[in-house]
Amino acid sequence: MAFALQVLMNALSLGSLYALAALGIGLLFGVLKLINFAHGDFITVGAYALIVPSAATQATLLIGDFHPLILIPCIVVVVVILALIAEFLVFRPLRNASPATLMIGSFALGFVIQNILIMVYGGRPKAVGIWSDLSLGVELMPGVEVPKLQLIIIGVTLVLMVVLVLFLTKTKYGVHMRAAAEDFRMARMLGIEANRVIMLAVAISGMLAAAVSMLFVVQTGILDFRMGVSLMLFAFIATVIGGMGSLVGAVVGGFAVGAVSILLQTFLPSEMRVFRDVFVFAIVIFILLVRPQGLVMSRASRERV
Amino acid sequence: MLEVKDLEVRYGRLTALRGVNLSIREGEIACIVGPNGAGKSTTLLAISSVLTPTAGSITFDGTPIHGTRPEDVARMGISQVPEGRHIFTSLSVEENLQVGTATRSDKAEMKRDHERVIETFPILGERRKQSAGKLSGGEQQMLAIGRALMTNPRFMTIDEPSLGLAPKIVDRVYEVLIDLREKRGLTLLIVEQSSERALKAADSLYVLRNGAIQLAGKAADLQDGKAVHKAYFGFSDDHEGEVMI
Repeated sequence: MAFALQVLMNALSLGSLYALAALGIGLLFGVLKLINFAHGDFITVGAYALIVPSAATQATLLIGDFHPLILIPCIVVVVVILALIAEFLVFRPLRNASPATLMIGSFALGFVIQNILIMVYGGRPKAVGIWSDLSLGVELMPGVEVPKLQLIIIGVTLVLMVVLVLFLTKTKYGVHMRAAAEDFRMARMLGIEANRVIMLAVAISGMLAAAVSMLFVVQTGILDFRMGVSLMLFAFIATVIGGMGSLVGAVVGGFAVGAVSILLQTFLPSEMRVFRDVFVFAIVIFILLVRPQGLVMSRASRERV
Repeated sequence: MLEVKDLEVRYGRLTALRGVNLSIREGEIACIVGPNGAGKSTTLLAISSVLTPTAGSITFDGTPIHGTRPEDVARMGISQVPEGRHIFTSLSVEENLQVGTATRSDKAEMKRDHERVIETFPILGERRKQSAGKLSGGEQQMLAIGRALMTNPRFMTIDEPSLGLAPKIVDRVYEVLIDLREKRGLTLLIVEQSSERALKAADSLYVLRNGAIQLAGKAADLQDGKAVHKAYFGFSDDHEGEVMI
């Protein structure tokens, strides 16, 4: 029982990170039909913003030294500004290009960001210990101890998802965004400003990326210029198996990928654990063979009569 | 009100419109009829600035609107009920109507327009919380018209309002359209494949074939089907001169 709870908490917290990242990708895909492969690099930048820009091997905290109530908004602002710059310099000029061109553009953007990070911060991973007391354990019930951070990750994810749902369903701009995600041309014919909706989606996607930055870097305590890449890969897989274009699907997919990873990590014989991701991807291929449209079918992709 | 001059639209190397001319007066119901692929929908999409013409001009109240963005055209008071209705199926009926008010901030008038739409289509009031994707075809057509009305347009284009609907519902849709002209002074441009019902409702008629206007005139002058038939098909049919398409 205690063991099962432990595994469940591991799966939920990893799934939360994937779900948050997948939501950021899914939101942008909704309005732009862009699979933003630079999303992972947005996450990386959010984490690097914590320290003083320098190539020194020893990281010196900059924003990371601020009080959490100032620190968090600062990181959010940095990532949102980066996302908006990406929209103006890369995505907007490619607006009328094919989705494939946009996607390759986002790949290029990702490499540019990674190489700028190497130039400014150096290519070596750096330790950055912020809020390390969060990794201390909390006793959930007698004999079950989980790191405080896991609870925070799950809690933050739930709160962000609720806020996002409220925004999308209860506010004018949220409704506009859903309309634009389903039928962009029709939304514009009704007077919805294309650029405004897209910038809003980009900004929200940036906020979600910033949240992942913080949660991830506090958990690992390491900065690496590729840290967002593997997250992005798993989040992308989450959106694909969840069903492209469905935000519910992105969340379901995120938790599914997280759960599968943790279960394999826990139950694979130890000599096979290094191949964990091979099994994850095999399961992904299997899901796509059985349900190519994804676990949750998006309304926009359903055939209309 | 709306002047279309020598409008030319190309899809890549394919020329969809080769010099279309329309002159629509304020307060009238104009109708474009023509066979499949004649360029009817293309004309409406060009008016809404979804398509950019390669030549020619479109002016609304004297202001050129070709080459602007769809949202600008909507803001000027032109609304379109497109082919296939394009209801937002993942949104509720109420939210669909709400999207129609995207450009507006006149709260009191928005409320009045909302009440009017519900009064015209009571079914939309009954189903306001429902997902729009669950509506029947006729109800979706009503929602598409209601949503277009929520933009408070002065000029509305409707692409094949009768497509896929039962005759009884088509009657109701036309009743509403004629009513909109009578009561609100709305100017309408209706596109249809069959001319029979359109001719009844329209003040002026345009026959479009092969991307060009073949015949234009007052509907009253074209009640003899022969000329329309010839313009529509490109040849006259002596055996069935009285047949309307």
